[in-house]
Amino acid sequence: MSEWLNQAITQAQGVSDWLSPKRDLALSALADVRWPTRKTEAWKYTSLRPVEKFSKTAPASFSKASSLTQIDGFECLDLVFENGQFVTDLAELTLPEGLSIQLASQADSAKQADVLSKFSSIKPERHVFGLLNDALVQDVLVIEVADNVSVAPALRLTSILSLAAQAHTRVLVVLGEHAKLTVSEHYQGNEESLNTGFVEYEIGADARLEHYRFALQTGKAVSLGGSHFQLAERADLNSTLVGFGSDLSRVDVDMVHAGENAFAKMNAFYLLDGKELFDLHATVEHAVPHGTTEENIRIIAADQAKAVFNGRIHIHRDAQKTLAELNNRNLLMSNKAEINTKPELEIYADDVRCAHGATVAEIDKKALYYMQSRGISRAKAQVMLNFGFINELIDQMPNQELAEWLRPQMREKFSQMEVK
Amino acid sequence: MSNTNTKDTSSLLTIKDLHASVEEKNILKGLNLDVKPGEVHAIMGPNGAGKSTMGYVLSGREGYSVEQGSALLDGVDILELEAEERARAGLFLAFQYPVEIPGVSNLEFLKASVDAQREARGEGAVSSADFLKLAKAACKQVNLPLAFLKRGVNEGFSGGEKKRNEIMQMLLLQPKVCILDETDSGLDIDALQVVAEGVNSQRSSDRSFVVVTHYQRLLDYIKPDFVHVLADGKIVKSGDASLALELEAQGYAWLQPSDEEGQNA
Repeated sequence: MSEWLNQAITQAQGVSDWLSPKRDLALSALADVRWPTRKTEAWKYTSLRPVEKFSKTAPASFSKASSLTQIDGFECLDLVFENGQFVTDLAELTLPEGLSIQLASQADSAKQADVLSKFSSIKPERHVFGLLNDALVQDVLVIEVADNVSVAPALRLTSILSLAAQAHTRVLVVLGEHAKLTVSEHYQGNEESLNTGFVEYEIGADARLEHYRFALQTGKAVSLGGSHFQLAERADLNSTLVGFGSDLSRVDVDMVHAGENAFAKMNAFYLLDGKELFDLHATVEHAVPHGTTEENIRIIAADQAKAVFNGRIHIHRDAQKTLAELNNRNLLMSNKAEINTKPELEIYADDVRCAHGATVAEIDKKALYYMQSRGISRAKAQVMLNFGFINELIDQMPNQELAEWLRPQMREKFSQMEVK
Repeated sequence: MSNTNTKDTSSLLTIKDLHASVEEKNILKGLNLDVKPGEVHAIMGPNGAGKSTMGYVLSGREGYSVEQGSALLDGVDILELEAEERARAGLFLAFQYPVEIPGVSNLEFLKASVDAQREARGEGAVSSADFLKLAKAACKQVNLPLAFLKRGVNEGFSGGEKKRNEIMQMLLLQPKVCILDETDSGLDIDALQVVAEGVNSQRSSDRSFVVVTHYQRLLDYIKPDFVHVLADGKIVKSGDASLALELEAQGYAWLQPSDEEGQNA
């Protein structure tokens, strides 16, 4: 383990507050956990050197280098973390009826007990950086939607980091029965920094969550986090994850079908250039019958970038009549780029319909030539070809404003990539 | 290069002593061709003679290397140019096997092509609305349903539809020199007529065609000014339209002293 980590843990051991019961559990679990190496299956392709090397101490102040992204027409309530500190003044926000947002540290003891009962109950224990987050977070932002309430504006959770920052953020989102909510998580910053950002979502019976995670930290920002979902009966989850890659970016996603007839859809796409790395581990647990899961993952890796995708669907013995599909298509733009993909289906029930597939293709040189032969520049042709590959998933984003915001960024990133 | 070429402004396409290879196999072995504005030249010949290679070399396909010789398009040496620059200089190759590009709509592809060529000529871009009108007209002219503009480029098109799509591109791009690489292969008689009418509508005093074909049939519809026989990488015989009829009747054997088996190019 690295020095900052040991220090951080030592510090955490001395803290005593309402979160202590969970913190102590995490610390004792961490004591038993071996620090992952390349021999650890879940970290086989992803080196933790950037974490180990990280030696920055927390910066004195937040530098306003980056600010909130402007998204035209996107109606949202902003909840902002700067270098891990929650800086939104909740008293200033006008919340629609049925939506409550609070910091657990400022809630009454009954609420804190409730939060403690849910904290880390959705995020599985096996994620090392999840445990670290458990141990290091100082507070939990709690978002709750009452039964039968549809919240119109989206909630945008932004985590911005400046140089040398170290940040650990934690959010708990609870949707009551028949509730509806859109949450968009944004991770920004490209300076040398380190963050763990975990969000747990409890989606009640017949509730619907529209979810986005824009893991857009680039450059030297080390980002380790996860979005974890638990679905009750007939709950509906539509999730889109977009990744840009940095020295080290890792996202863990867990979707647990806890109630029957739930529906989970996740589209994920990442675009990597230079020496960027992006690693997504997504696990779906079908614990009960009649669940449906659809996953589409598309990856483009150029130059010497490295992509890792591990998609596991675990269908338990009782989860009869499960429908699960995992589709992963990848495009390599250079022969030094790397895409490591591992779809895993683990099925213990005998009456299920499951499919999975993964393909890795190089850019179609015939198509490039064909387009060039019509006068289209090679660079433009690449953009068009790649865009076709990803555009399908952007088209499927339920929120048009977010899709329109994302498209030009994708075009821009594509246009800088080269076929080698 | 040893032989120097004087710029021949009266020709649209001048190929001199062209030698080219693919994967270290020599395919073109001294090709000469001179095409003046408004002329239609037919190139016939057995399999493996280098007919398709000629189109690929001229259009700048990767993997084809030119060992010797020159090719001038309207006075510009195109062999040093990138594929897209050759197209912008006025060269158009109608592919024998047009490429399918799922995810990129035909309309988007056509507009990007036309925009790129207009930009290279210093002309402004056509507005999307105006371009749609042009594209629809071209689509109708080659008898393709308008829905084909929205589909992925050539995606799931039949052989004949792909060839008509090639002609549609030609109509929109208005090139100076069009090379049609076996555009008649796989076409029924109706599609053949549509393609030939498309070509004939574009014949003009400032545009030339090089029509590569196996069969005389296409030449009933597109009347050539010259017919050349390409065998073993060079032109072995040239004549007028009557040569095509002669070839149809007698085959190529009488023209080929060599019994070398050419590879499929």
